[in-house]
Amino acid sequence: MAMKRSILGSGYLSPGSAIVMLIAAVSTVVVLVWPIEKRQGLEFWTFSKTHSQMYAEQLKTWNAQADAEGAHPRVNLFVIDMTALVRRTLSSFWADTPVADMIEVEGNTIGRYVAGPLEDVGFVDLTDLLQEEGIYDLVNPPSFSLWTSRGRVFGLPHDVHPVMLCYRADIVEEAGIDVSEIETWDDFARVLAPLIKDLDGDGRPDRYLLNTWYTNTEWIEPLMLQAGGGTFDESGELIVASKANALVISTIIHWCFGEGRIAIDAPEFSPAANHLKIEGRVVASLMPDWLASTWKNDMPQLSGKLKLMPLPAWEPGGRRTSVYGGTMIAIPKSTKNFDEAWAFVKHLYLSEELAEELYRTTNIITPVRRYWDSDYFNEPDPYFQGQAPGAMYIALAPDVPPRTSSPFRPLAMTRIGEAINDLRKYAQANDIYEVDGLMPEALRLLEEAERRVRAEMSRNVFLTEVTP
Amino acid sequence: MFRKLAVYTPLTLFAAITLVPFLYLACSSLKTNDVFFSSPFLPIDSAWWDINWSGLTLDNFKRLFQEAGIGRAIVNSFFFASTMAVLGTLGSAMGGYALAKFNFLGRGMFTNIVLTALIIPGALLLAPGYKVLYTLGLLDSYAGLILPGVAPAFGVFLFRQAFVSGLPTEMMEAGRIDGCGEVRMFFQLALPMVRPMVGAFLLITYLGTWNNFIGPQIVLQTPEKYPLAVAVAQLRGPYGSEYGMIMAGTIVAILPVLILFLMLQKDFIAGLTAGSVKG
Amino acid sequence: MSRGTRTPWWAPYLFIAPFAVAFCVFTAYPLFESIVMAFLQTSGPKRSEYVGLSNFSWMWEDPDFHKAVRNTVIFACGSIFIQLPCSLGLALLLNRPDIKGRAFWRMIFFAPSLVGLAFVAILAGLVFEKNTGLLNVALHQVIWFDPEFPWLQEYVMPALIISAFWMYVGFNMVYFLAALQNVNTDLLEAAQVDGAGPLHRFRHVTIPAIRPVATFVILLSLIGSFQLFELPYLLLNNSGGPDNQGLTIVMYLYQKGFDWGDLGYASAVGWVLALLLSVFAIIQRILSKTEVA
Repeated sequence: MAMKRSILGSGYLSPGSAIVMLIAAVSTVVVLVWPIEKRQGLEFWTFSKTHSQMYAEQLKTWNAQADAEGAHPRVNLFVIDMTALVRRTLSSFWADTPVADMIEVEGNTIGRYVAGPLEDVGFVDLTDLLQEEGIYDLVNPPSFSLWTSRGRVFGLPHDVHPVMLCYRADIVEEAGIDVSEIETWDDFARVLAPLIKDLDGDGRPDRYLLNTWYTNTEWIEPLMLQAGGGTFDESGELIVASKANALVISTIIHWCFGEGRIAIDAPEFSPAANHLKIEGRVVASLMPDWLASTWKNDMPQLSGKLKLMPLPAWEPGGRRTSVYGGTMIAIPKSTKNFDEAWAFVKHLYLSEELAEELYRTTNIITPVRRYWDSDYFNEPDPYFQGQAPGAMYIALAPDVPPRTSSPFRPLAMTRIGEAINDLRKYAQANDIYEVDGLMPEALRLLEEAERRVRAEMSRNVFLTEVTP
Repeated sequence: MFRKLAVYTPLTLFAAITLVPFLYLACSSLKTNDVFFSSPFLPIDSAWWDINWSGLTLDNFKRLFQEAGIGRAIVNSFFFASTMAVLGTLGSAMGGYALAKFNFLGRGMFTNIVLTALIIPGALLLAPGYKVLYTLGLLDSYAGLILPGVAPAFGVFLFRQAFVSGLPTEMMEAGRIDGCGEVRMFFQLALPMVRPMVGAFLLITYLGTWNNFIGPQIVLQTPEKYPLAVAVAQLRGPYGSEYGMIMAGTIVAILPVLILFLMLQKDFIAGLTAGSVKG
Repeated sequence: MSRGTRTPWWAPYLFIAPFAVAFCVFTAYPLFESIVMAFLQTSGPKRSEYVGLSNFSWMWEDPDFHKAVRNTVIFACGSIFIQLPCSLGLALLLNRPDIKGRAFWRMIFFAPSLVGLAFVAILAGLVFEKNTGLLNVALHQVIWFDPEFPWLQEYVMPALIISAFWMYVGFNMVYFLAALQNVNTDLLEAAQVDGAGPLHRFRHVTIPAIRPVATFVILLSLIGSFQLFELPYLLLNNSGGPDNQGLTIVMYLYQKGFDWGDLGYASAVGWVLALLLSVFAIIQRILSKTEVA
């Protein structure tokens, strides 16, 4: 005590104050002497840990070359939380805060970057370069649609992302069911119905047929696109209140509630939901090519128990695939090394090595068409009982529906989400769970949603050229 | 006996509800991914007494420091919170001292400003504040976070009350007659008289800053500058499927303040209630 | 005061300077700026266009804003009508003269409020999960509760209110506990001698004594509730959650201003929020004045 008193100057400070001031002094010194490293070379941001693993090998070679020959700068790759990546990128567009030289952009976030006037988009407009260098002809054309705003392309696409249906072959086959009988979603519900079961004997069914939920609009959008609906068509017209969308949302409610329930909520990337999948409580899930690798990583237990098949169609003879997710790589205008960054971007995204690596580590099929007949796409995959997913996805790639990059797409999806929720309330209040019974109300709700989207769009004074 | 039961049963129940999430947090941070869902608390094999000790690990913490670089965020949080607390307390004490103990032109105006500023919601200043920081070139710097908080109205108000009741004007007169300079008088005579308020306000500001999320989220852009609140929230991207890591990050983020404040709870609670009882 | 002594004229100005400068630069100027901005539509801080009153009229029309206000009000009601009474109850229990280990109990109840909202949100994300979350698992085992209960899909506001309850019930208890020290024990005893029942004593002796603190705590809760942001923002992964069920006013402001770059609209929203809060503050001031009179 005496000791303390002499140090603290005869009790000038209370112990709490003394501790806080001590922390302030020490931490200030530490922060001052701990420099933030200036990185050599180019900075490259991605939001996906899988991508970073996939690029690791090529980056190593690239950087070894950089160190040995000095022909090009090193590239440093950082994995950054998606929200943070978007915020930091936007902040650099608005306020010139530091940003990377190359950024991978996720499909759902593109609208944010193109929400202002065209000249304010902080990414380099690559349209002319792509034309001059003949890159347009190399890449699967629909893959550009998501990255094009007002006719200008802001990045190089990374993927095609067709969607298939992944099902628990072990469970299906044990029950003696033959999935080749399934052509439409109605067939799907009818043929697999015997698999809905109460596994733990508490009187409630625990196993359901399809991983989807009426709140999970992100995964309802591919179903709408498959049916020919969505938010905006290729010419930028609003198509929220389409028959196709009404059919999809009515069906979703039908699937989630009432006698006809076949859906279970097991969202992707959730360890909790993965647990449900491993326990066999989910029979089938929508599976874009990229998701297969996520499953392999997160749920190795399911190896050999799964199989893929084209999506059931919305009507006989209809489209058997859809599209979900997507990434591009873009170069911010603020970079001081555009030529070097562009060289690296092409080297990475268009290389044959990456196409193979892309498929082998992440199950993603390349958008570069000339590699599509490579042998590795035909190799059997033990995770899917020896099927060759690559060839199956490529067969569906030409049917992938086009998408919009409209900054109003998230808004339109929010309104559709509300329409779905209102439809759920309507269904529960009136005890109507059949698709036909729900259709008129669904259409009415979607029309209301479309009206609201239009109102919000006409408010924006910076995007007059995309406003109807 | 019945009376006792009626008092201690609700207390115990509430205490359990309060503590269970902490227990859950602690157990979760020690579990490996494989056994994470085997039970809510310690990993088990077949029944609750059959604890699977091999499912426990310190790996999450190790990786937090080695892979995710949380060490830097801890230092940043200590720096941000303590500097803000010291500067904020000093500025508030000075302001409160001026309003309580001096007669000067503008005193009434400043007092009214302080009282009005008390009810300005922080959210109102977010958008224009961002623009001001942009104009001043303070985005992505700690100065941009700390300078706006050097003399919060709330602090000035509390210290004004404290000086009015805690510092006799005669003492100051006596000091002046002895030839004591104004600055020296503030530090040597005035501040010691409101020692409890100094301690309390330091701690309140420290805690508030440590837990501040929206400020750093908007202002800071360089990962090496992130404090824990932002750094831990961002673990959920790259480590989204590893709950153990996220829970370990949360523990690392709350433990330092928890320890500090449970040690100093008297000071702290005195500070909290000072605003309400006197104000 | 200091009249007649040798007080240098600059002394008060020196002491008020940090407040004056910080206030002018970081409060007054932005406040002025935000008045101007409320009439602009912006795309980041660099680009803006005058739009008149349309920001306010759009707020009036936008169903998202209505939802944000409704959610915020629901949350505030949860704080005031569920949380505060429990805080008061705990304080009354702890205030009993025969209680053992008062400091110990107080410490336990108080601990959650030391955890930042951001961290509570991260923790709550796991606790409220369907099928595997702590809450559903525990309730399922104890009272056969539906393990699929969709907290984060359909019951977002209750989940938020429960999280905030856990966090702040002990915090507010500390205020009430301090206020209960003002209760005149002689008066209580006299009332007991006169045969007043416990409810009667509570109403006529305890309540008037803690009223100033109670109105203060209610105001504090209201202001805090109306600025709710971190908890839903992080709990719902940086969005309003399914069907915007967890969208709050400040989150709405944040989304418009910082996700979409319309700082002008965000300023307009900020002013509406400020207006709401000043109404509460005025009501509180009137209430505490009438009580003195």
